[in-house]
Amino acid sequence: MTKKINIKINILTSKLVLCLLMLFMLSGCSGGREINDLEIVIGMGVDKDEDTGNILLTAQVVKEGEMEKSSGSGGGGGDGKAFWNVTGTGESVFESVRQITHKTGNRLFVSHNHVIIFGKDLASEGLQKYIDFFLRAHEMRPTAIILIAEGRALDVMNAKPETEKLPAMNIAKLVKTYGFTSHFYKVNMKDFASCLMCDSRSPIAPLVGVSKDGDNKDIYMSGMAVFKNDKMVGRLNEDETRGLLWVLGKVKSGVLLISFPNKQGKAAFEILEAKSKVIPEIKDGKIVMHVKIKAESSLSEQTTAEDLATIEAFEKMQKAQAEVIRQEIMAAFDKSRELNADVFGFGEMIRKKHSNKWKSLKDKWDEIYQTIELNTDIEVKIQKTDLLKKPASPKKEEK
Amino acid sequence: MFRYISKVIRYLSLKNKNASQDTTTGKVNNEPISSDLKRNLEVIKGILRDSSDVTFHEFNFGHDRRFKGALIFINSLADKNEIHKNILQPLMYDVLLLKKDANMDFTKIDTVSKNLISITDTQKLVLASDLIDHLLAGATILLVDGAKEALAIKSQKVEHRGIEEPGTEAVVRGPREGFNENVNVSIALIRRKIKDPDLCIEKFNIGERSKTDVYIVYIKNVANPKLIEEIRERLDRIKIDAILESGYIEQFIEDAPYSIFPTVSNSEKPDKVVSKILEGRAAILVDGTPFALVVPMLFIESFQSGEDYYSRPFLASIMRLIRFLSYIISALGPAIYVALTVFHQELMPTQLLISIAAGRERVPFPAILEASLMIFTFDILREAGVRLPKAVGQTVGIVGALVLGQASVEAGLISPIMVIVVSSTAIASFAVPAQTDSGTILRYIYLALAGLAGGFGVIMGLLATLLHLASLRSFGTPYLWPIVPLNFSSLKDTFIRMPLWTMSKRPSAVVWDESDNYRQSPGLMPSPYKKDSGGSK
Repeated sequence: MTKKINIKINILTSKLVLCLLMLFMLSGCSGGREINDLEIVIGMGVDKDEDTGNILLTAQVVKEGEMEKSSGSGGGGGDGKAFWNVTGTGESVFESVRQITHKTGNRLFVSHNHVIIFGKDLASEGLQKYIDFFLRAHEMRPTAIILIAEGRALDVMNAKPETEKLPAMNIAKLVKTYGFTSHFYKVNMKDFASCLMCDSRSPIAPLVGVSKDGDNKDIYMSGMAVFKNDKMVGRLNEDETRGLLWVLGKVKSGVLLISFPNKQGKAAFEILEAKSKVIPEIKDGKIVMHVKIKAESSLSEQTTAEDLATIEAFEKMQKAQAEVIRQEIMAAFDKSRELNADVFGFGEMIRKKHSNKWKSLKDKWDEIYQTIELNTDIEVKIQKTDLLKKPASPKKEEK
Repeated sequence: MFRYISKVIRYLSLKNKNASQDTTTGKVNNEPISSDLKRNLEVIKGILRDSSDVTFHEFNFGHDRRFKGALIFINSLADKNEIHKNILQPLMYDVLLLKKDANMDFTKIDTVSKNLISITDTQKLVLASDLIDHLLAGATILLVDGAKEALAIKSQKVEHRGIEEPGTEAVVRGPREGFNENVNVSIALIRRKIKDPDLCIEKFNIGERSKTDVYIVYIKNVANPKLIEEIRERLDRIKIDAILESGYIEQFIEDAPYSIFPTVSNSEKPDKVVSKILEGRAAILVDGTPFALVVPMLFIESFQSGEDYYSRPFLASIMRLIRFLSYIISALGPAIYVALTVFHQELMPTQLLISIAAGRERVPFPAILEASLMIFTFDILREAGVRLPKAVGQTVGIVGALVLGQASVEAGLISPIMVIVVSSTAIASFAVPAQTDSGTILRYIYLALAGLAGGFGVIMGLLATLLHLASLRSFGTPYLWPIVPLNFSSLKDTFIRMPLWTMSKRPSAVVWDESDNYRQSPGLMPSPYKKDSGGSK
């Protein structure tokens, strides 16, 4: 009796053990790799190789040993750089990535890739064939930031920042903190691809340039690149970009500068909050976009001695700010019409609101976009004047 | 199959052994005491002939010294002062104070004990085997010529420590007394805390040779009678030559002998044990050890400390959450580190990955080996430190922590982050003393799983552990209660500790009568004095 039970239990346990073994043996994630065998890539650049016309891929690899050393004592060995821009060429991105292993010895580990920079010549040629790998590879992050270099991506990645050790991390930080001015915008691979796949919307991507000041190379953000389909067709300058962001409701903060027409002097406001609402309307076959914007600001600086903390002055200034915002929006709108690129995503908004009519509009959207009217309703409220009520000015002038 | 056969063989050999023992010992001892003093003494002397510390004292007593008696005791156990003052003196001299014409018959043991012996704790014996048992337990045996009975007089002198603060469970706030090796002291400590006629103290005698006193302590009407019956049965099962510590009992009565999780809790603090007795549990006290066992044990008990209830509930709740967290860290710390650095590098923030990579740059071992080495070294240090005398122990600690740790990092054998992971794990494992063992074992298991299959392996291990925990029972109580099965009202004292006045019921899984398990009247929330109502609502 007990013998039988025992045998039964033995069969049961052996089955269990077999199940467990299968769980471990047959599951996919058994590929461990030691950290020492990884080349951690934090940024990648794609350029065109001028001689061959092939892809020139730059991968920014972290030199962990150099990261540990304090920046002051950089002596040690080598040039004290904490990164290594290693390049590979090939006819496709993937081929170039593998080509790089001829130089690194280890496989590139791209899960921590933060920025992907494309050269301007590639961008105007069309990005579709270059971004496929970055979206398809399972190690890549769809949240990596996409940028367009004013010149070559390699030059951007070579510019060593003064405070950060890694150029790619510095660029990522720059883009992520766009909110200080709202003069450019963060676009990641996922956003870019979804814009690209959309019927009407034109993708945008921040532009990054290198300024040379003697030996120093500094990176700066210079507005946004505008794409028509996958080709870069033009750019938005800083004000135009903010005009775009006002409509999208993505303005975080920034400076609104107004000048007084009669008196000399300016007042600067900090944008505290901005909300937008866009309602598309189709009236007798004509499309009107109603843009409602509500913004709050605080008086941060004034160059006149006038006491601005009065109700009349506030009303005037609020109107003046609204006018500045309107001008920015219109500038962006005019530019987008000039480029015939729907960067606002108005087409998408119409598709969502008037989906039945969108089907007829879809095919000739390029022509229709030129005829869209923009109706703005902007309301700005000044919340506070920060620490001062009256400007610190000598008394004489006030009289 | 092999296991089964070896089990059968072991069982048969044990059975034979037991049977043979019964025949040899039973024959000698199952004799009744005869009325002939000389014969009795001969028999006892025959049994104890190799014990040099037994004193046989023969004397005559009564008015005209016509009665013959003998005292037998073991020198090392008996209190001679007591014997002289309260046994011999009354028998030989105080008897003269009785009137001569009372004519008492001192050949009857009853008459002697009622009239002459001035010690309260006495017992009449009929069998020679009982006589030997009592004698060896320290009693003084009085034999009188002509009586068919003997008198066991408990006059033993037991050397024991004073009541000290227990070394294992120090508290900041709360009673500092601890149980004692002398079980009578331990019982006294419990008695002093519960002055209730319902407090039951059942005595058992376990161990063929050690004859150790084992007591079940519980409160009638609060403890479940089925639980007590179960404990009695399990204790009766134990046939062993000696019980040296309560751990022996624990290992013979626990529910899951193959589990790494303990299903019987232990404590040396009377307040802790009493609080559990008051909740309907039963304590098992064993003579010769300060560690009392308490059953049934719940998993969450490991995370509750006596101090939780003595201090106010706010910090106590936070500390309890920290204890849960540190148990998780102690079991999973190195495993998660290995899984992250070997399998899931993409899960870490970039900066962290870079600094880990920088720390590991010169390390020649794979992470799993590095982690095992560190944990192994730590366990060696701990084991060495525990056994060494205090002064040397400190040195070992310094050498281990500072010299070894520092040097191995500088030599590039171990990465600094691994030192941080392992040392924080080690510290965390001591935050939950009751589960230190299981945490240490789980740490090795999870580490191996992490090295094999990364996060997937760790999750598999966790699932298996949870399944196992949920399947455990301690004396009929689900081990994970009140989390599995869920009991909302008892969650008041699980992850956080609610104020005492909210916990008016005893834990319902432990208690006998679920409908009437109030330990305090509800609505005891204190509030400032109100003029009109004059009391709480």
